[in-house]
Amino acid sequence: MRRVLTIPALLVLVIIAAGCTKDPVSRLNTDETRLFITNHDSTVNFTGFKTFKVSDSVAIISNDHQRKKTRDSYDSLVIAAITTQMKSRGYTQVSNEDKPDLGINVSQIINSYTGLVDYGNYYNSYYDYWDPYSWGYAGYGYYSPFVGTYQVNEGVLSVDMFDLKDAAAYTKIKSIWNGVIRGEGIFNSSSVGQNVKALFEQSSYIHP
Amino acid sequence: MGLVLLCCSAGAFAQEKGVLTLQLNYSVGIPTGSFKDVIANNSYNGFGGALMYHFSNSFSLGLETGSQQFYQKTARQLYKSADGSDVSAVLSNSVQLVPVMVRAQYNFLPHGYIRPYIGLSAGGNVINYSQYAGEFTNDSKNRFGFAARPEAGFYIPFGKYSRAGFSLGAGYNVMPFNYNGISNFNNITARAGISFPLG
Repeated sequence: MRRVLTIPALLVLVIIAAGCTKDPVSRLNTDETRLFITNHDSTVNFTGFKTFKVSDSVAIISNDHQRKKTRDSYDSLVIAAITTQMKSRGYTQVSNEDKPDLGINVSQIINSYTGLVDYGNYYNSYYDYWDPYSWGYAGYGYYSPFVGTYQVNEGVLSVDMFDLKDAAAYTKIKSIWNGVIRGEGIFNSSSVGQNVKALFEQSSYIHP
Repeated sequence: MGLVLLCCSAGAFAQEKGVLTLQLNYSVGIPTGSFKDVIANNSYNGFGGALMYHFSNSFSLGLETGSQQFYQKTARQLYKSADGSDVSAVLSNSVQLVPVMVRAQYNFLPHGYIRPYIGLSAGGNVINYSQYAGEFTNDSKNRFGFAARPEAGFYIPFGKYSRAGFSLGAGYNVMPFNYNGISNFNNITARAGISFPLG
């Protein structure tokens, strides 16, 4: 009998072994979860630009649609951090009236994914944990006439730099640089400065 | 000299013919060859078990399984992605190996206090490979493939008349894994465990 039981015991060991992977993400601190992604038009010489202006508000883009523009304390910190970085590179901040060479837009992109949970199946799948016996109804099954929803939100901070100097000639406002920040805590005010700085540090070609 | 005497001492119980034993062990994994290009860190996160039937005092055959998880985090670096963008990320590589193999073991000096053994295991291997950039999955592949391990070690019974004992061994895991420039997850394993008869 013991021998018969040891085969299932070994199978249980296989299942436990397969489930023993420690999630690599759980070993990261908040900073390590973040990605800083930059791209630029390699045909553009950034030394040809001298002045810039950062938009005075942040666009909130949700599921590919712009919902609103905001200027809360976080937005102000982002705009100020970008301004600091541009000035430190040697660009001069000007107003729209002075026709800036470069325009910079800031966007918070928030994409939501919605899933469904059939609670009837959910509870029956976990019958052993939520045994109806504990309610005094041994042998009963669970039933739910509705399904629940869960939602996953992923936020991205995106900074776009445009060539305004040549807009008239191209009859288009051409994007020449983009910086994106993804990961944990990117909308915390305390990390704004270091996050924006990281984007510029990996874009050494941005200088007049 | 003392070791030779211990090995050659007679009179202790052997792991007898017809007995089923369960072996449980803790293991350390050491990546070798091209595996070190993926993960160079040793793994201290491993365990396993084997169910062995003793056809004679020296020879046993059985099934074994276990898990060994390798992990390495690379400090933040700038990477060039396929679309030309520059990505600054902390990369994490994770490899979990779950072999399920048939194991044959031959014990020398079945009546000695220290019993050297050699073993050969062969079978399959569930491999979970994943790479994360920050908290985002960058690459992932789960695959079932071939696995084999020659091994050698010592078995030391707990006492002169004990049918349970302690074992210490080392082996070389051959684990091919052809994917995205990776050819294998071959590694050296060092194991320490106990074994005891069932019934």
